[in-house]
Amino acid sequence: MTLASQPVSNIWADMPILSAKGISKKFETAEGPLIAVNNVSFDVAPGQFLSVIGPSGCGKSTLFNIIGGLTEAYDGTVTVAGETVRGPHPSIGMIFQEESTFPWRTVLDNVCFPLEISNTPKAQRVEKARHFISLVGLSGFEKRYPAELSGGMRQRVAMARTLASEPKILLMDEPFAALDEQTRLLLGDKVLQIQQQLQQTTLLITHNIAEAVQLSDRILVMSYRPGKVKRVVDIKLPRPRTSEIVTSAEFGMCVAQVWNDLREEATRGMQEAERLR
Amino acid sequence: MNAHTATHPHNRAVTLLRLILLASLLAAWEILAQSGWLYRDVVPSLLSIGCALASLLSSPDYYFHLSVTVLEIAGALAIGGTIGVLTGLVLGANPFAGRAIEPYIYYLGPTPKIIFFPIMIMWFGVGPGSKIAMGAVSCFFPIALSVAAGMRQIDPVLIRVGRSFRAQAWQMAWKIYLPAMRHPILNGVRLGLGIAIIGTLLAETKLSNRGIGHLIMRAYSVFDMPKMYALLIILFALAIGANAIVGRIGGLDTIRRS
Repeated sequence: MTLASQPVSNIWADMPILSAKGISKKFETAEGPLIAVNNVSFDVAPGQFLSVIGPSGCGKSTLFNIIGGLTEAYDGTVTVAGETVRGPHPSIGMIFQEESTFPWRTVLDNVCFPLEISNTPKAQRVEKARHFISLVGLSGFEKRYPAELSGGMRQRVAMARTLASEPKILLMDEPFAALDEQTRLLLGDKVLQIQQQLQQTTLLITHNIAEAVQLSDRILVMSYRPGKVKRVVDIKLPRPRTSEIVTSAEFGMCVAQVWNDLREEATRGMQEAERLR
Repeated sequence: MNAHTATHPHNRAVTLLRLILLASLLAAWEILAQSGWLYRDVVPSLLSIGCALASLLSSPDYYFHLSVTVLEIAGALAIGGTIGVLTGLVLGANPFAGRAIEPYIYYLGPTPKIIFFPIMIMWFGVGPGSKIAMGAVSCFFPIALSVAAGMRQIDPVLIRVGRSFRAQAWQMAWKIYLPAMRHPILNGVRLGLGIAIIGTLLAETKLSNRGIGHLIMRAYSVFDMPKMYALLIILFALAIGANAIVGRIGGLDTIRRS
């Protein structure tokens, strides 16, 4: 097991399913224009798990919204299997950082939501929803309301809901940010298992190094303001993985490597935040 | 009562306390009535109120007046509520309109609407028209304000979820905006109902030729106190019943879940 780290390059160039080219986004603020994301390019191959990691304020969430098609005004292009993304794309399924289940719908009805939107016939809808509910390990909770579930379970409902739309690419924005560390590790297991089972192409946005290393084939380390790709780290840990991997020496090395790249940026971010205080 | 209170350990004690309070209130009333301290029928005996109630409930005339009042309130709520919900949606969805118009609604809201009654009589006459107008004007304000506030309180992530699944505008409205606003809309309607009842009855007692409010003033003018109290009891029951119906329609059980 070796750890490869190299400057930005592209070894997945054959048939990327998701491709971002020269993504930049500028915000106008009271203190003048702020470049949130600066010329970010990357490719994701089918079945690959790619993480984007960076300190707070590196434009991660901006990138998430751009790829998900929720932000319209930006520079650069996002393509899905060669097709330019304009607005939310049917091949991309988003999982949000915030609590996003519909409190007035049961677990089953929450997961049925995207299928209702796409006018899937009712019987098929319920069958599909039940399948994905069992995939995230929530069988038996179909009739419960989100308020009756724990935070980790609600985030799994959101995950099942997005998976039910059968996206080619799963796009997640710190889906475990609001959860405690243990739940986070165990949910990471669930994500690994699902990802391996479905061969799901996944793009994860996170600030958690352990999480990124545990789950990813490749990590993009972003710099603090303006958000640029600082380095690409390939994680060559064996698959299938579980959360047990966090105790291995190789895992520790990967984390150290990523932290090495990230520390400088996180420090800059912190100093900037203190200066503005 | 529902499953929540039924399983609560204090439930029986609470019911008992309620019954004791009610019984002591009635007892105090009867003592006051029998004592003769107050002028004649100011506090009539429970028996005479009961008799008045019975004779009311068996008179077809009463049902005519009751139906007038109920229809007036229903009409007021339908008109004022519809306009209120629509206004609230526009104000909530459009920050510019909200900022421009809401202060007017906000400050006019608590103003006693009875000051508009003379105008309503001139426009709509002495009959039910002016009563419906009064009720509608009264309930418009709380409903519009709570719907506008409710629309602004929708969790933005739910809207992003809908957009990410590429929901059409009508799907967004029907499957996200309306259910997400069910609490404020229902609360607005409940507030509006109470205020519509007040507005309608106030108008009926001021100037009218039919309705429960009219009957109350007629009983008062001939000093038929037992009948007046009987009418007040009916009104009381009417208000409670109307509130219960609104609560049931809105599905209070689903409100408790979240």
